[in-house]
Amino acid sequence: MINASHVTKKFGSVIAVDDLSFTLDKGESIALWGSNGAGKTTLIRSVLGIFPSTGTVSIHGINVRSQGKKARSFVGYVPQELAFHDDAKLGSSIMFFANLRKVNSKGAAIALAKVGLQGHEKKRLRDLSGGMKQRLALAIALIADPPIIVLDEPTSNLDASGRGEVIDTLCQLRDDGKTLLFASHRPDEVLSLAGRVLVMEKGKLIKDVTPQELWPTESRIQTMRLYLSMGTEESAATVLREAGHAVNLNGQGLCVSVPRNRKAEPVSVLARAEIEVRDFEILDEVQEDSK
Amino acid sequence: MTTLPIKTSPQPAAIGTHLSKVSSVIAFARREFRDAVSSRWFILYTVAFTVLAVAVSFMSLAGSGSHGFAGFGRTTAGLLNLIMLVVPLMALIAGAGSIAGERERGTLLYLLAQPISRTELLLGKYIGLAIALCCSMCIGFGLSAGVLAWRVGGVGISAFVMLVLFTCLLALAMLSVGMLLSVLSRRSGVATGLGLFAWLILVFLSDLGLMAGTILFKLRVQEVFAIGVMNPLQAFKMAVIVNMNASLDVLGPVGMYASQTFGGMLPWILALVLGTWTIVPLAIAVLIFSKRGSV
Amino acid sequence: MFRLQFIASLCVLLAVVFGVQAQESHQSPRQSTDEIAKLIELAEPGSTIVVPAGFYEGNLQINKPIVLDGQNLVTIDALGKGSVIEIMVGDVTLRGFTIRGSGLTIDQEPAGVRAVAGPVIIENNHFEDVYFGIDLRPAADSVIRNNTVIGMKHKLGRRGDGIRLWWSPNSIIEDNTIDAVRDMVFWYSEDLSVARNRVTNSRYGLHFMYSHNTILADNELIENSVGIYLMYSNNITLIGNSIINNRGSSGYGIGLKDCDAITIKNNALLANRVGMYIDNSPSSIDSWGIITGNKIAFNEIGLLSTPITHDNVITNNAFVENEEQVTVHGRGQLMLNDFSKDGIGNFWSSYSGFDKDNDGVGDFPHEPRSLFRSLLARQPNLRIFLHSPAQQAIELTARAFPELSPEPIFIDASPLTRPPTLDLFVSTQTQSRFPMIVFSVGLLAISCFGGWLVARQKPLPKITDTDPSQRAFV
Repeated sequence: MINASHVTKKFGSVIAVDDLSFTLDKGESIALWGSNGAGKTTLIRSVLGIFPSTGTVSIHGINVRSQGKKARSFVGYVPQELAFHDDAKLGSSIMFFANLRKVNSKGAAIALAKVGLQGHEKKRLRDLSGGMKQRLALAIALIADPPIIVLDEPTSNLDASGRGEVIDTLCQLRDDGKTLLFASHRPDEVLSLAGRVLVMEKGKLIKDVTPQELWPTESRIQTMRLYLSMGTEESAATVLREAGHAVNLNGQGLCVSVPRNRKAEPVSVLARAEIEVRDFEILDEVQEDSK
Repeated sequence: MTTLPIKTSPQPAAIGTHLSKVSSVIAFARREFRDAVSSRWFILYTVAFTVLAVAVSFMSLAGSGSHGFAGFGRTTAGLLNLIMLVVPLMALIAGAGSIAGERERGTLLYLLAQPISRTELLLGKYIGLAIALCCSMCIGFGLSAGVLAWRVGGVGISAFVMLVLFTCLLALAMLSVGMLLSVLSRRSGVATGLGLFAWLILVFLSDLGLMAGTILFKLRVQEVFAIGVMNPLQAFKMAVIVNMNASLDVLGPVGMYASQTFGGMLPWILALVLGTWTIVPLAIAVLIFSKRGSV
Repeated sequence: MFRLQFIASLCVLLAVVFGVQAQESHQSPRQSTDEIAKLIELAEPGSTIVVPAGFYEGNLQINKPIVLDGQNLVTIDALGKGSVIEIMVGDVTLRGFTIRGSGLTIDQEPAGVRAVAGPVIIENNHFEDVYFGIDLRPAADSVIRNNTVIGMKHKLGRRGDGIRLWWSPNSIIEDNTIDAVRDMVFWYSEDLSVARNRVTNSRYGLHFMYSHNTILADNELIENSVGIYLMYSNNITLIGNSIINNRGSSGYGIGLKDCDAITIKNNALLANRVGMYIDNSPSSIDSWGIITGNKIAFNEIGLLSTPITHDNVITNNAFVENEEQVTVHGRGQLMLNDFSKDGIGNFWSSYSGFDKDNDGVGDFPHEPRSLFRSLLARQPNLRIFLHSPAQQAIELTARAFPELSPEPIFIDASPLTRPPTLDLFVSTQTQSRFPMIVFSVGLLAISCFGGWLVARQKPLPKITDTDPSQRAFV
């Protein structure tokens, strides 16, 4: 479905994507993995032909540079940052995107119904919750029932339950035979959704593996919740990030993702930085999702 | 590399079932129009223009309680000043905000990921804004035409129609310039600044410069005309006056030269100037926008 | 040229043929002007001949003092050759004729009636399709009254004069209606009375050359190139004339060139290119001019003057909404003229002062300063920037920085705060207001309905039969 070869994209002197090639077959689901700045987003945008890049990308055999409009009609896209016209109403907004895809109001209504947003047409977009916006983005991506869905960090703005909903939907879409390409920085998503992982670093493709190969069971990432003294969360987060850990700071405490066999590491890192850890717990992914 | 299964499911399924014939350009135009008319700046401008236009019509007539030719001519002259200040400002700012605003909010990226071309996007936005501007001005003109009809009668309707048409043309030209500036700038603040600067140049600086040049270099009439008419605002003004007086000699030796040299062709030449200002910047904007290396 | 003449004469012929047919139905058939000549020959000098009703062709020369009365039933047509009627002796009266079809040769200047001796009385005649209308050269002490002259509608320069006096002093020209001619012009003719004439669509409505001591009263000059132009003519009074919409390339309502002792009183000068143009008048060092009680409104320039102009007393006029109220040709000021006298100035619609004690005189003098106007005087080409925001920018700058402000070109020490004359405005409304109303409503409807059409959003259809399995979120 998607065939990218030797894609290179430079912004000035910065090389965001460096001679990257991959193929995505029909029904496949591929995750893009890599740290921030690895070039995932730029790759997705190059694949969609949003801006010109060197190398060739074809979707369904159609070159995105020369026939971008046609190529993109096979792709539904969910961006990382949900940027809508906040003044617009939900109904007119979905109709606009429906019109772009030559779909009539019936089709738009069906797409809204699919994500459970029917009945909210009169609401202004600024009044929608983050989750509703995410669902709207998904509805827009699904509007013409395209064979390919491209998602850029689809769950980054959501809380746990919202994430679960989205992942469930995507699993269902994958099972319906849609082809998925998504960027993520959450191992659980990748594990549950992707058939292959493209690991990117500094714009280069360094690994093309299955999630199981990337994260063997013993080194599976788990999330630890650390309970710290009042006021030390921010500095703790900084210290942990410097030590190379994925940190998520929320109201309930500090969450760190660590491989299963290295759970002591964050605690010792914090101890070295003389930040007191009052308590910690291991969050079971399944448990949290079901909460 | 695997070969692609091109034959299977070539078209998205829903496309077959719920087809719509609305073209992307029209979809963009309608969205842009809707956004414009519900936005604060647009309502503000429309109200301001309408109030000013009606006030100018009233004041031109009220001072004298007069009837007939004089009332109409003075109303038009008053409107002329108002139009030349407000309409370019409105159109330039509207145009300048269009692309840069979407870019800054991040919506541009999302739009470009849809199955549309950049040209469609730009043209659609242009058309939507153009309709919005023309509607806004037609409200002001409609009401001041009402004032004229009430206080003056049916004098000079053809000149008034031409005033409306040329004002719309002026708005289209300025909108086109505004969109070019919008395409060129990354942030909407910069675009708005550029728009204001362009307004300053077109409305004041170029004329003042040409005035200084006329005095300092003792430019000949044909030179003053040739340079002056390149300014879309001057072309607009001359067009309105030519349609009102059938001649430009109100504007002194330069106007007389223009009337005598071009005669009946003059309104067409002036319309051509405005048309060029509409098409060329928009075409450049389309070119730059579709060749742009980033969003 | 030949072609033009051919076509013109063909037209004339056709017109004649049809005219004759029209008259034949109830009048006698075509005759030669020789029939009239025979009548004149038989008549006693000084007697009255009532010319039998009818249509006469050819030219007529009158060599005997006599009264010819057509009783509005006689048409004389020269069929495009020479002057229609030539009066060779004085004491001739010509009354009640339709006179038409003169020649068109420039060197001979053929006329409807040409008199080479005075006095003559020409009254109640209708002239059409003539090169010159009435030409007195010379015919002193004559009366031209209540005639209608409709010229050939050639280009202005190719037309003849409607009425021309040449060395014909002491004449009375009144109640004539002139349309589509070149000028109504008076050469070297003193002591005239020119009253209640109406001249339209011509070049100079009333044109005086070296013709002194005359009163022009209550004439109407509408849509000519120039209304009244006095040149080298002294001691003339213009009173009660209506001068409207004269917008030729010079386009003066009233123009004065080198004229002494002119009184311009109670005239209406409306919507001309220039209301009044004073070119070196008075020209003599000890002479004067009086301009008072006039309504000068809606002109592009109210009063235009050459800078050397002096000793005009300009008071009690209403200057209303002229695009430029007063301006000087070239650089200079009008300080040698009085814009107020004995505490009475003029009414200026542009006066920005106020009248606190409500005595009808403004508390501050009216001294207009316009930087743009003074630039205009320096460089007329700048006029192209009139009506543009740049012009206003210049004025604002001058207001903000008074040192940039030019000297006022005149000072009215006692500006009136109420217009001295109340019947200031004439209504020329002839067209129906209906199209304008339709246009107004149309514009509003287009913008509102069109806007609604573009912006409307139909509600999405209700999806009632959604297959639950289709739903993404269950």
